[in-house]
Amino acid sequence: MKNVLQWNPPEGLQGVEVTYTVQYFIYGQKKWLNKSKCRNIHRTYCDLSAETADYEHQYYARVKAISETNCSKWAETGRFYPFLETQIGPPEVALTTDEKSISIDLTAPEKWKINPEDSSVSMQQIYSNLKYNVSVYNTKSNRMWSQCVTNHTLVLSWLEPNTLYCVHVQSFVPGPPRLAQPSEKQCVSTLEDQTSVFKVK
Amino acid sequence: LRRCQVSVDTRHIEESFQEIKRAIQAKDIFQNVTILSTSEALQSIKPSDVCCMTKNVLAFYVDRVFKDHQEPNPRVLRKISSIANSFLYMQKALQRCQEQKRCHCRQEATNATKIIHDNYDQLEVRSAAVKSLGELDVFLAWIDKNNQETSTA
Repeated sequence: MKNVLQWNPPEGLQGVEVTYTVQYFIYGQKKWLNKSKCRNIHRTYCDLSAETADYEHQYYARVKAISETNCSKWAETGRFYPFLETQIGPPEVALTTDEKSISIDLTAPEKWKINPEDSSVSMQQIYSNLKYNVSVYNTKSNRMWSQCVTNHTLVLSWLEPNTLYCVHVQSFVPGPPRLAQPSEKQCVSTLEDQTSVFKVK
Repeated sequence: LRRCQVSVDTRHIEESFQEIKRAIQAKDIFQNVTILSTSEALQSIKPSDVCCMTKNVLAFYVDRVFKDHQEPNPRVLRKISSIANSFLYMQKALQRCQEQKRCHCRQEATNATKIIHDNYDQLEVRSAAVKSLGELDVFLAWIDKNNQETSTA
Protein backbone atom coordinates (compact mmCIF):
# COMPACT_ATOMS: atom_id res chain seq x y z
CA MET A 1 0.00 0.00 0.00
CA LYS A 2 2.67 2.43 -1.05
CA ASN A 3 0.66 5.32 -2.47
CA VAL A 4 2.48 7.95 -4.53
CA LEU A 5 0.79 10.94 -6.15
CA GLN A 6 2.23 11.76 -9.56
CA TRP A 7 1.50 14.60 -12.01
CA ASN A 8 2.70 16.15 -15.24
CA PRO A 9 4.31 19.59 -15.31
CA PRO A 10 2.14 22.37 -16.79
CA GLU A 11 2.56 22.93 -20.51
CA GLY A 12 4.21 26.01 -22.00
CA LEU A 13 6.45 26.80 -19.01
CA GLN A 14 9.75 25.42 -20.34
CA GLY A 15 12.63 27.37 -18.82
CA VAL A 16 10.47 28.83 -16.07
CA GLU A 17 11.15 27.65 -12.51
CA VAL A 18 8.04 25.90 -11.26
CA THR A 19 7.44 24.44 -7.81
CA TYR A 20 4.53 22.38 -6.54
CA THR A 21 2.54 22.10 -3.34
CA VAL A 22 0.43 19.08 -2.37
CA GLN A 23 -2.51 18.62 -0.02
CA TYR A 24 -4.64 15.60 0.81
CA PHE A 25 -8.15 15.05 2.17
CA ILE A 26 -9.57 12.16 4.16
CA TYR A 27 -13.08 11.51 2.82
CA GLY A 28 -15.64 12.38 5.50
CA GLN A 29 -13.26 14.58 7.48
CA LYS A 30 -13.41 18.36 7.60
CA LYS A 31 -10.52 19.96 5.75
CA TRP A 32 -7.61 19.64 3.39
CA LEU A 33 -4.34 18.82 5.08
CA ASN A 34 -0.85 19.89 4.07
CA LYS A 35 1.88 17.43 3.26
CA SER A 36 4.86 19.33 4.69
CA LYS A 37 7.48 17.42 2.72
CA CYS A 38 5.69 18.30 -0.50
CA ARG A 39 5.53 22.06 -0.16
CA ASN A 40 7.30 24.10 -2.86
CA ILE A 41 8.99 21.02 -4.34
CA HIS A 42 10.49 20.74 -7.83
CA ARG A 43 9.80 17.04 -8.39
CA THR A 44 6.51 15.87 -9.89
CA TYR A 45 5.60 13.19 -7.38
CA CYS A 46 4.78 13.03 -3.68
CA ASP A 47 4.71 9.94 -1.47
CA LEU A 48 1.46 9.95 0.49
CA SER A 49 1.80 6.41 1.82
CA ALA A 50 1.98 7.46 5.47
CA GLU A 51 -1.01 9.77 5.10
CA THR A 52 -3.09 7.07 3.40
CA ALA A 53 -1.96 4.17 5.59
CA ASP A 54 -5.49 3.52 6.93
CA TYR A 55 -6.61 1.52 3.93
CA GLU A 56 -10.28 1.46 4.96
CA HIS A 57 -10.57 5.22 4.54
CA GLN A 58 -10.86 6.96 1.21
CA TYR A 59 -8.81 9.95 0.12
CA TYR A 60 -8.42 12.82 -2.31
CA ALA A 61 -5.18 14.59 -3.18
CA ARG A 62 -4.52 17.81 -5.01
CA VAL A 63 -1.49 19.73 -6.33
CA LYS A 64 -0.92 23.24 -7.56
CA ALA A 65 1.96 24.74 -9.54
CA ILE A 66 3.65 27.96 -8.48
CA SER A 67 6.00 30.08 -10.61
CA GLU A 68 7.44 33.49 -9.72
CA THR A 69 4.37 35.44 -10.70
CA ASN A 70 1.71 32.82 -11.05
CA CYS A 71 -0.10 30.20 -9.07
CA SER A 72 -2.29 27.58 -10.76
CA LYS A 73 -5.66 26.30 -9.61
CA TRP A 74 -5.65 23.04 -7.68
CA ALA A 75 -5.63 19.89 -9.77
CA GLU A 76 -7.54 17.26 -7.80
CA THR A 77 -7.63 13.46 -7.98
CA GLY A 78 -10.75 11.33 -7.93
CA ARG A 79 -11.66 9.53 -4.73
CA PHE A 80 -8.92 6.96 -3.93
CA TYR A 81 -9.79 3.80 -1.96
CA PRO A 82 -6.56 1.95 -1.03
CA PHE A 83 -8.43 -1.16 0.14
CA LEU A 84 -9.84 -1.68 -3.36
CA GLU A 85 -7.22 -0.02 -5.51
CA THR A 86 -3.84 -1.00 -4.10
CA GLN A 87 -1.67 -3.16 -6.35
CA ILE A 88 -1.03 -6.53 -4.71
CA GLY A 89 2.58 -7.68 -4.83
CA PRO A 90 3.59 -11.27 -5.66
CA PRO A 91 3.94 -13.95 -2.97
CA GLU A 92 7.28 -15.46 -2.03
CA VAL A 93 7.65 -18.73 -3.92
CA ALA A 94 9.73 -21.76 -2.81
CA LEU A 95 9.97 -24.83 -5.04
CA THR A 96 11.11 -28.35 -4.06
CA THR A 97 11.21 -31.19 -6.55
CA ASP A 98 10.84 -34.92 -6.67
CA GLU A 99 10.92 -37.34 -9.59
CA LYS A 100 7.44 -36.62 -10.84
CA SER A 101 6.27 -33.78 -8.67
CA ILE A 102 7.06 -30.23 -7.64
CA SER A 103 5.97 -28.77 -4.32
CA ILE A 104 5.22 -25.03 -4.38
CA ASP A 105 5.21 -23.15 -1.07
CA LEU A 106 3.75 -19.64 -1.11
CA THR A 107 4.12 -16.85 1.45
CA ALA A 108 1.69 -13.96 1.16
CA PRO A 109 3.16 -10.55 0.33
CA GLU A 110 3.53 -8.05 3.14
CA LYS A 111 1.91 -4.66 3.53
CA TRP A 112 4.22 -1.73 2.80
CA LYS A 113 5.76 -0.48 6.05
CA ILE A 114 6.08 3.19 6.94
CA ASN A 115 9.13 2.39 9.05
CA PRO A 116 11.26 -0.67 8.19
CA GLU A 117 11.36 -1.54 11.92
CA ASP A 118 7.56 -1.74 12.10
CA SER A 119 6.18 -5.24 12.53
CA SER A 120 5.15 -6.93 9.33
CA VAL A 121 1.50 -7.21 8.34
CA SER A 122 0.67 -9.94 5.85
CA MET A 123 -1.72 -9.02 3.05
CA GLN A 124 -3.52 -12.25 4.01
CA GLN A 125 -4.58 -10.53 7.23
CA ILE A 126 -6.04 -7.65 5.24
CA TYR A 127 -7.56 -9.69 2.43
CA SER A 128 -8.86 -12.93 3.93
CA ASN A 129 -10.01 -13.96 0.44
CA LEU A 130 -6.50 -13.54 -1.06
CA LYS A 131 -5.88 -16.13 -3.78
CA TYR A 132 -2.96 -17.10 -6.04
CA ASN A 133 -2.84 -17.77 -9.74
CA VAL A 134 -0.03 -20.32 -10.28
CA SER A 135 1.27 -20.62 -13.86
CA VAL A 136 3.41 -23.63 -14.78
CA TYR A 137 5.37 -24.10 -18.01
CA ASN A 138 6.87 -27.41 -19.21
CA THR A 139 9.96 -26.33 -21.17
CA LYS A 140 10.17 -29.70 -22.96
CA SER A 141 6.62 -29.93 -24.24
CA ASN A 142 6.04 -26.14 -24.29
CA ARG A 143 2.83 -26.80 -22.48
CA MET A 144 1.55 -24.12 -20.01
CA TRP A 145 -1.28 -24.33 -17.49
CA SER A 146 -2.58 -22.29 -14.59
CA GLN A 147 -4.27 -23.09 -11.33
CA CYS A 148 -6.05 -20.84 -8.83
CA VAL A 149 -5.30 -21.75 -5.21
CA THR A 150 -6.12 -20.31 -1.82
CA ASN A 151 -3.88 -22.36 0.44
CA HIS A 152 -0.15 -21.87 0.68
CA THR A 153 1.11 -25.23 -0.53
CA LEU A 154 0.47 -26.76 -3.91
CA VAL A 155 1.90 -30.06 -5.15
CA LEU A 156 2.11 -30.57 -8.89
CA SER A 157 1.96 -34.33 -9.47
CA TRP A 158 2.26 -36.66 -12.46
CA LEU A 159 5.01 -34.55 -14.00
CA GLU A 160 7.62 -35.81 -16.44
CA PRO A 161 10.90 -36.82 -14.77
CA ASN A 162 14.12 -35.05 -15.67
CA THR A 163 12.25 -32.07 -17.12
CA LEU A 164 12.67 -28.35 -16.53
CA TYR A 165 9.51 -26.66 -15.30
CA CYS A 166 9.13 -22.88 -14.85
CA VAL A 167 6.68 -21.34 -12.38
CA HIS A 168 5.43 -17.85 -11.68
CA VAL A 169 2.67 -16.83 -9.29
CA GLN A 170 0.36 -13.83 -9.07
CA SER A 171 -1.65 -12.79 -6.02
CA PHE A 172 -5.18 -11.58 -6.55
CA VAL A 173 -8.25 -10.60 -4.54
CA PRO A 174 -11.76 -11.23 -5.86
CA GLY A 175 -13.46 -7.89 -6.37
CA PRO A 176 -12.95 -4.94 -8.66
CA PRO A 177 -10.15 -5.44 -11.20
CA ARG A 178 -6.78 -4.22 -9.94
CA LEU A 179 -3.19 -4.39 -11.07
CA ALA A 180 -1.11 -7.29 -9.74
CA GLN A 181 2.57 -7.96 -10.27
CA PRO A 182 3.56 -11.59 -10.95
CA SER A 183 6.49 -13.16 -9.13
CA GLU A 184 9.84 -13.66 -10.80
CA LYS A 185 9.86 -16.78 -12.98
CA GLN A 186 11.56 -19.69 -11.19
CA CYS A 187 12.64 -22.89 -12.97
CA VAL A 188 13.46 -26.30 -11.48
CA SER A 189 14.04 -29.70 -12.98
CA THR A 190 12.28 -32.83 -11.81
CA LEU A 191 14.65 -35.61 -10.79
CA GLU A 192 15.69 -38.50 -12.95
CA ASP A 193 13.30 -41.43 -12.98
CA GLN A 194 14.97 -43.87 -10.51
CA THR A 195 13.28 -46.92 -12.09
CA SER A 196 14.95 -46.32 -15.49
CA VAL A 197 18.34 -46.08 -13.71
CA PHE A 198 17.86 -49.63 -12.29
CA LYS A 199 17.00 -51.01 -15.78
CA VAL A 200 20.30 -49.76 -17.12
CA LYS A 201 22.31 -51.86 -14.65
CA LEU B 1 -27.71 -23.74 12.27
CA ARG B 2 -26.12 -22.35 9.08
CA ARG B 3 -25.89 -18.56 9.00
CA CYS B 4 -27.12 -16.82 5.91
CA GLN B 5 -24.61 -15.88 3.27
CA VAL B 6 -25.18 -13.66 0.28
CA SER B 7 -24.45 -16.29 -2.33
CA VAL B 8 -24.28 -13.90 -5.27
CA ASP B 9 -21.30 -13.22 -7.50
CA THR B 10 -20.65 -9.56 -6.69
CA ARG B 11 -18.07 -9.32 -9.48
CA HIS B 12 -20.72 -8.45 -12.05
CA ILE B 13 -22.02 -5.69 -9.76
CA GLU B 14 -18.49 -4.42 -9.11
CA GLU B 15 -17.75 -4.29 -12.82
CA SER B 16 -20.95 -2.30 -13.42
CA PHE B 17 -20.03 0.09 -10.62
CA GLN B 18 -16.42 0.49 -11.76
CA GLU B 19 -17.68 1.78 -15.10
CA ILE B 20 -19.72 4.57 -13.53
CA LYS B 21 -17.70 5.20 -10.34
CA ARG B 22 -15.74 8.24 -11.58
CA ALA B 23 -18.84 9.85 -13.11
CA ILE B 24 -20.94 9.34 -9.99
CA GLN B 25 -18.25 10.30 -7.45
CA ALA B 26 -17.41 13.43 -9.46
CA LYS B 27 -20.98 14.66 -8.83
CA ASP B 28 -20.53 14.27 -5.08
CA ILE B 29 -19.32 17.69 -3.97
CA PHE B 30 -19.60 17.11 -0.21
CA GLN B 31 -16.26 15.42 0.53
CA ASN B 32 -16.62 16.11 4.25
CA VAL B 33 -19.68 13.88 4.67
CA THR B 34 -19.96 10.12 4.25
CA ILE B 35 -22.96 7.81 4.35
CA LEU B 36 -21.52 4.30 4.81
CA SER B 37 -17.90 4.99 5.50
CA THR B 38 -18.15 6.11 9.09
CA SER B 39 -16.45 3.57 11.30
CA GLU B 40 -19.54 3.16 13.45
CA ALA B 41 -21.56 1.95 10.47
CA LEU B 42 -20.35 -1.01 8.42
CA GLN B 43 -16.86 -1.46 9.84
CA SER B 44 -18.11 -2.13 13.36
CA ILE B 45 -20.42 -5.01 12.37
CA LYS B 46 -19.66 -8.43 13.85
CA PRO B 47 -20.04 -11.70 11.89
CA SER B 48 -23.26 -12.55 13.70
CA ASP B 49 -24.83 -9.32 12.47
CA VAL B 50 -23.65 -9.55 8.85
CA CYS B 51 -26.89 -11.04 7.49
CA CYS B 52 -29.14 -8.45 9.13
CA MET B 53 -26.84 -5.60 8.13
CA THR B 54 -26.69 -6.83 4.54
CA LYS B 55 -30.47 -6.99 4.45
CA ASN B 56 -30.82 -3.49 5.94
CA VAL B 57 -28.31 -1.84 3.60
CA LEU B 58 -29.82 -3.57 0.56
CA ALA B 59 -33.21 -2.15 1.64
CA PHE B 60 -31.60 1.29 2.12
CA TYR B 61 -30.41 1.25 -1.48
CA VAL B 62 -33.54 -0.30 -3.00
CA ASP B 63 -36.11 1.71 -1.05
CA ARG B 64 -34.33 5.06 -0.84
CA VAL B 65 -31.19 5.58 -2.92
CA PHE B 66 -32.26 4.11 -6.26
CA LYS B 67 -35.65 5.85 -5.94
CA ASP B 68 -34.21 9.23 -4.96
CA HIS B 69 -31.51 9.33 -7.62
CA GLN B 70 -32.28 10.99 -10.94
CA GLU B 71 -29.77 10.08 -13.60
CA PRO B 72 -29.65 12.01 -16.90
CA ASN B 73 -26.98 9.89 -18.55
CA PRO B 74 -28.57 6.80 -20.20
CA ARG B 75 -25.35 4.74 -20.02
CA VAL B 76 -24.97 5.42 -16.31
CA LEU B 77 -28.68 4.80 -15.79
CA ARG B 78 -28.40 1.36 -17.40
CA LYS B 79 -25.58 0.41 -15.03
CA ILE B 80 -27.51 1.66 -12.00
CA SER B 81 -30.55 -0.36 -13.08
CA SER B 82 -28.38 -3.45 -13.47
CA ILE B 83 -27.02 -2.96 -9.95
CA ALA B 84 -30.53 -2.36 -8.59
CA ASN B 85 -31.76 -5.62 -10.14
CA SER B 86 -28.88 -7.50 -8.58
CA PHE B 87 -29.77 -6.02 -5.21
CA LEU B 88 -33.39 -7.14 -5.65
CA TYR B 89 -32.11 -10.66 -6.33
CA MET B 90 -29.93 -10.55 -3.22
CA GLN B 91 -32.91 -9.35 -1.18
CA LYS B 92 -34.95 -12.35 -2.33
CA ALA B 93 -32.10 -14.68 -1.43
CA LEU B 94 -31.92 -13.20 2.08
CA GLN B 95 -35.72 -13.25 2.36
CA ARG B 96 -35.68 -17.05 2.38
CA CYS B 97 -33.08 -17.02 5.13
CA GLN B 98 -35.15 -14.61 7.14
CA GLU B 99 -38.21 -16.81 6.88
CA GLN B 100 -36.11 -19.64 8.32
CA LYS B 101 -35.23 -17.38 11.24
CA ARG B 102 -31.52 -17.34 10.33
CA CYS B 103 -31.13 -13.62 9.77
CA HIS B 104 -31.62 -12.28 13.25
CA CYS B 105 -31.30 -8.51 13.85
CA ARG B 106 -29.59 -7.45 17.06
CA GLN B 107 -29.45 -3.89 18.46
CA GLU B 108 -25.96 -3.31 17.08
CA ALA B 109 -27.11 -3.82 13.50
CA THR B 110 -30.18 -1.69 14.10
CA ASN B 111 -28.03 1.12 15.51
CA ALA B 112 -25.57 0.93 12.61
CA THR B 113 -28.45 1.05 10.12
CA LYS B 114 -29.83 4.12 11.86
CA ILE B 115 -26.47 5.87 11.52
CA ILE B 116 -26.59 5.28 7.76
CA HIS B 117 -30.10 6.69 7.48
CA ASP B 118 -29.19 9.65 9.72
CA ASN B 119 -26.16 10.39 7.53
CA TYR B 120 -28.45 10.25 4.49
CA ASP B 121 -30.96 12.62 6.06
CA GLN B 122 -28.22 15.17 6.78
CA LEU B 123 -28.06 16.02 3.08
CA GLU B 124 -30.54 17.25 0.51
CA VAL B 125 -32.08 14.14 -0.99
CA ARG B 126 -30.47 14.31 -4.46
CA SER B 127 -27.02 14.91 -2.97
CA ALA B 128 -27.55 12.11 -0.48
CA ALA B 129 -28.53 9.70 -3.25
CA VAL B 130 -25.49 10.60 -5.39
CA LYS B 131 -23.19 10.23 -2.39
CA SER B 132 -24.67 6.84 -1.49
CA LEU B 133 -24.28 5.61 -5.05
CA GLY B 134 -20.67 6.80 -4.97
CA GLU B 135 -20.08 4.67 -1.89
CA LEU B 136 -21.37 1.44 -3.42
CA ASP B 137 -17.77 0.19 -3.58
CA VAL B 138 -17.61 0.41 0.24
CA PHE B 139 -20.72 -1.78 0.58
CA LEU B 140 -19.58 -4.27 -2.10
CA ALA B 141 -16.12 -4.58 -0.52
CA TRP B 142 -17.82 -5.16 2.85
CA ILE B 143 -20.03 -7.90 1.34
CA ASP B 144 -16.97 -9.56 -0.26
CA LYS B 145 -14.97 -9.41 2.93
CA ASN B 146 -17.74 -10.52 5.26
CA ASN B 147 -19.15 -13.27 3.13
CA GLN B 148 -15.69 -14.88 3.12
CA GLU B 149 -15.43 -14.71 6.90
CA THR B 150 -19.07 -15.57 7.75
CA SER B 151 -18.52 -18.85 9.52
CA THR B 152 -20.73 -21.88 9.26
CA ALA B 153 -22.29 -22.27 12.69
